[in-house]
Amino acid sequence: MAVRARNVSKLLSKVINGVPKGQIRQLSAEPAEIESRPDFRTTCTMIPGDGVGPELMYSVQEVFKAAGVPVDFEAYFFSEVNPTLSAPLEKVAESISRNRVCLKGILATPDYSHTGELQTLNMKLRNALDLYANVVHVKSLEGVKLRHSGIDCVIIREQTEGEYSALEHEGVKGVVECLKIVTAKKSQRIAKFAFDYATKNGRKRVTAVHKANIMKLGDGLFLRSCEEIAKLYPKIEFEKMIVDNCTMQMVSNPQQFDVMVTPNLYGNIVDNLASGLVGGAGVVAGASYSANCVVFEPGARHTYSEAVGKNVANPTAMLLCAAKMLRHVNLPRYGDMIRSAIEKVLKDGKVKTKDVGGQSTTQQFTYAVINNLDIPKA
Amino acid sequence: MASRIVKKSALRLGQNLFRAQSTMSAFELQHKTPVIKKITSIPIALYGGRNAVTMLPGGGIGPELMSYVKEVFKYAGAPVDFEIVDIDAKAEDNIDLEYAITSIKRNGVAIKGNIETKSKSSEVLSRNVAIRNELDLYVNILHVKSYPGVPARQKDIDIVIIRQNTEGEYAMLEHESIDGVVESMKVVTESNSERVARFAFEWAKANGRKKITTIHKANIMKLSDGLFLDTSQKIAKEYPEIEHNEMIIDNCCMQLVSKPHQFDVMIMTNLYGSIVSNVVCGLIGGAGLLSGKNYGDHYAIFEPATRNTGKAIAGKNVANPIAMLSASVDMLEHLGHNQHAKMIQRAIYKTVCEDKIHTPDLGGTATSTDVVQKIIDHILQSDIRPW
Repeated sequence: MAVRARNVSKLLSKVINGVPKGQIRQLSAEPAEIESRPDFRTTCTMIPGDGVGPELMYSVQEVFKAAGVPVDFEAYFFSEVNPTLSAPLEKVAESISRNRVCLKGILATPDYSHTGELQTLNMKLRNALDLYANVVHVKSLEGVKLRHSGIDCVIIREQTEGEYSALEHEGVKGVVECLKIVTAKKSQRIAKFAFDYATKNGRKRVTAVHKANIMKLGDGLFLRSCEEIAKLYPKIEFEKMIVDNCTMQMVSNPQQFDVMVTPNLYGNIVDNLASGLVGGAGVVAGASYSANCVVFEPGARHTYSEAVGKNVANPTAMLLCAAKMLRHVNLPRYGDMIRSAIEKVLKDGKVKTKDVGGQSTTQQFTYAVINNLDIPKA
Repeated sequence: MASRIVKKSALRLGQNLFRAQSTMSAFELQHKTPVIKKITSIPIALYGGRNAVTMLPGGGIGPELMSYVKEVFKYAGAPVDFEIVDIDAKAEDNIDLEYAITSIKRNGVAIKGNIETKSKSSEVLSRNVAIRNELDLYVNILHVKSYPGVPARQKDIDIVIIRQNTEGEYAMLEHESIDGVVESMKVVTESNSERVARFAFEWAKANGRKKITTIHKANIMKLSDGLFLDTSQKIAKEYPEIEHNEMIIDNCCMQLVSKPHQFDVMIMTNLYGSIVSNVVCGLIGGAGLLSGKNYGDHYAIFEPATRNTGKAIAGKNVANPIAMLSASVDMLEHLGHNQHAKMIQRAIYKTVCEDKIHTPDLGGTATSTDVVQKIIDHILQSDIRPW
């Protein structure tokens, strides 16, 4: 009820911001000048990340250059394993919230904390920007031969609470407690996100993945929140599935899934599992949403640090992220151009990187994509 | 009457107790359910800077106008995704209607055409009224401003009509107790009258308006319109910087057609609002130009100002697209996408006032698609590409 006079205050705030009377209405005698931007170009924050990230970003930039995409990158080196060189979190967060889009590689996270810090840099960034919803669209690619075909599911994961709350302590020596936080507010928010996503993209079914039979209160709350929100969407089928069963179904009959909504850790596992089914970390794109910005990053988070400098990493995932980013910033022509070029290269099957059964290098793949770009003649 | 209000001085905007009437659906009202409905607000659908908005095309020219809105939004790159909900005008039940209301609750914002209700059954609600009542959209604002270059009876009009939107004559309480005698109830509540008056004064203050006129017929309906008038007079005392006067509805209509420039902001009950809006729209060029905004505490709906279906001209490519496009501009402003709003608004202004591309209702010969095409051309020529 705090937003009672929301509309009134909205109107008020316009005045406080110093907009003179005539400009508020759409039909003032002399239309207000639009605050001019230098040109048509869009700026996007870029975080190359660790491992092969910089190589993949180079590939993206090559393709963008070839396609003439009007996007400028604002690159930040951001890393947890290399803290001395890393840009400060505030600066990166500020850049992303200003540009509202970001293309991000994967940040490596060490298994043990040397500083006593429990939160990883990834988590800090997500919390700083409130990037609560991670969306991974797992889709079989033509030309990548695998056990299953025809997979087309979307995994939506809550990624600001749950097991990732970074609340662990050792109250008694040898006994560690790790708190998993579930709140109704965030559970409803992610459920609504999932249903809105399904509505927008014409999906039919939303599956909530949980383990409420064991964690009756925590996952119970998540499940109940999903059920509550589901009532607002009478045209979308809602079903629930226990996470262990879900993983089994996923490897045996993955075509049955449509949109899945999961708490944090399960989402992480299911993301990786599903990515494995369609070709691994090198081919699946993902995105993290907050209310106002989007960070596009590969769907399965793997730095592939063993391949650094070997020119063998598959740039497909990162290029697909970039294509999605272009669609998001209203440059669908370029986005679709890049996407169809990638699809064509994969379908032709002549240029394949190692991870999908070929012998080509990152560079060769990138050039193949560039050669297949269908650039309209000016 | 006045003494009654003074005694209940504790009444304040936003007190739950007094919100009962308007937050109840017409159906509940009709059946005298004493349950007070509490609206729990759901966060609006805004993800990654893109809003989801419910689109109710309605009947008549609605669907074509909506297709123009989508087309213009595509070229302007407005970050809005529409969820289109069609309501079958012939339906004998309220399933589509309920879905539409649910959808607006989820998205928080809607753009709508006029929805037809063909059924004569009293079980089937008037869809337009039901949506407003169910979502508690208690105020309707219509800013009437002349377009230079459009042939009209009166020039340089700038009037804001603020209308109570959920009760009054539209309470949908009618019955025939004795054969041949029908009673229709007009419901006026203190709480809703106060909310509207408060909104009007706040709006006037925020937008630098000088004068508010309360339109009523308290000389005949001494209790109902009397309450409305008393309430607005009471609120007016809290805003000494804004001049307040009153006018009887019949006189008001006459003054509007003869000397419209004397009016600044007007507040009135539901039915008078409907009539006065149409009168003023007629003065500046008809139904095809202006847009109206419906606000509640949680939801907002944008629509053309005069709620006409325009069945006669549907499908003939002559309907004026400006009203619906203006409504879409209002919507973008409400959502905070000011750059896009300004871009489209400027394109509309150039098309109507400078290029003078007018549809037949404004005395021109252009088709709807000509107008839209010109607007799109202006958008493409604008020097920015916000996304």
